Amino acid sequence: MDVPRRRRSPVLILEHSKRVALPLKRMLGLAVILTLVGTGCDGGRQLGAKELLQQSKSLQSEAAEGALLAEDAVSGKATSIYTREHAFELYRAASEIEASLKAAVSEPALELELGKLAVLANQISADLKRLSSASTVEQRILTRELHKAAQASQKLGEGLA
Amino acid sequence: MSLKNILAVALGIFSAIGGFVDIGDLVFNTQAGATFGFQLLWVVVVGVLGIIVYSEMCGRVSAVSERPVFDLVRERTGFGAGLATLVASEVVNLMTCAAEIGGVAICLQLLSGLPYRVLIPLAVIGLAVSSWVLPFRWIERVFGYLGLCLLVFAVAAIKLHPDWSQVAHGFIPGSHSGGSLMVYLYFVVGLLGAAMTPYEVYFYSSGVVEDHWGPKDLGLNKVTAMIGYGLGGFLSFALMIVSAILFLPSGISPQFLGTPALAVEHTFGQVGLLLALVGILFAVGGAAIETSFAGAYNLAQFFGWNWGKKARPARAPRFALSWVVIFALALLVVMTGYDPVKLTEYSVIFSVVALPLTYLPILLVANDHSYMGAHVNGKLANFLGVLYFIVILVIAVAAIPLLLLTNGGQG
Repeated sequence: MDVPRRRRSPVLILEHSKRVALPLKRMLGLAVILTLVGTGCDGGRQLGAKELLQQSKSLQSEAAEGALLAEDAVSGKATSIYTREHAFELYRAASEIEASLKAAVSEPALELELGKLAVLANQISADLKRLSSASTVEQRILTRELHKAAQASQKLGEGLA
Repeated sequence: MSLKNILAVALGIFSAIGGFVDIGDLVFNTQAGATFGFQLLWVVVVGVLGIIVYSEMCGRVSAVSERPVFDLVRERTGFGAGLATLVASEVVNLMTCAAEIGGVAICLQLLSGLPYRVLIPLAVIGLAVSSWVLPFRWIERVFGYLGLCLLVFAVAAIKLHPDWSQVAHGFIPGSHSGGSLMVYLYFVVGLLGAAMTPYEVYFYSSGVVEDHWGPKDLGLNKVTAMIGYGLGGFLSFALMIVSAILFLPSGISPQFLGTPALAVEHTFGQVGLLLALVGILFAVGGAAIETSFAGAYNLAQFFGWNWGKKARPARAPRFALSWVVIFALALLVVMTGYDPVKLTEYSVIFSVVALPLTYLPILLVANDHSYMGAHVNGKLANFLGVLYFIVILVIAVAAIPLLLLTNGGQG
């Protein structure tokens, strides 16, 4: 059986939507703020020895993986597509670390290590970006550079442990 | 047993081997090998034995009662507990399906060089069309057999000449080195969760009903579960061994799905790389189909709808719509850009939390004479079933705290 529906006046609908829209906007604003706070935006984040050690391990991993990939690319073991795509993935991860290190602060005693790690991250991400479109000659150079960068990250990490 | 039957068993086993490894196994086994070397090999044995015990039980329950497990779960545990199991399993299924689809898109990207975001919808369309067009048996065979390309990891593990005495030592649980105790325990939980994923059990039991297995097929059920999962476990060993040899010494912590392929590429060159990528593509693609079907099976069986891959969609429309919707939802999740490897880690850990809800009803029904008659659990099945249920309870309680305390295994 059909139940007759009352038609609502457009004005009432508008007022109702305004009443709904205002708390909705506030809630959305709050959600954005909470998300930004939750993610930390990585802006000015204070890093202790543990966090720096973690970042150095991640950099070591990306540099070492990049070195292995570059070595395989030089010897013709890797396809050009795989080298390009995987190197780009590694570059993106390293550049994220670089961005977070640049924006971070640390205790005064760890400022030197933070600075060194940021420089290293910059070098590793630049090398990995180059690797994604490098010639064989460049790949050979990048193999050595990334290998050295991995060792430097490891050494920095050992100092922080 | 006739030659035809032997061939059918062999084909079933081969597809089970290829279909055993999914994105969870790839992620956790390579990360565990890169962090702890061979020290966690024993966990793979425990996990594989667990999935054999419960898959055999589950297949037996379905073959004897001629009803799928979720149908019995609702009947045996009541609506409330059944609904809780359904919700938990559907959430985990969706997360796993999304992670597998992300994995398929990454493999396609590494093979073709096309953009990841373009490949995600293409992957979903390809999987959905395969699911719609191909008969059940062909889905199993195509994805299972091509997934067998993953055996290149086993060959690589041998070619890398590991110290076999150290490998053997890894099968004995004991003290650990290379990471904190918390991280070690996190990987124990993750490896067990990856080996005993609930969707495998739901998919397997529904397949038993679809294939009209009866009490006469209980031998086949036992052989398929034992040899299929058992040999499939070797792929997990291979992944961990290869990772331990190549990644651990250089401090590589595999955070990308393309990283395991790097190990094979380093060993065998471009042919090895292509085999590894094709193997991962089909193993993960097959698992994506299994998760979407497992989700649809669960919904249809819980609500009493017509179901079955073998039935025409017009005869089981809500079942067909369910797996299409699961694919669509998974597509939305992956399109957010969330890292599939991280999604895998979360899906495995959350599936561990849901494990008791999956396995307790199976254990109860397998012990119920009114359902099972003469095929009720024997002493060994009960001993192992109860033992594993205790293990499952412990890891279910520990999973989330370990995830948080170790920052997802990062330490």
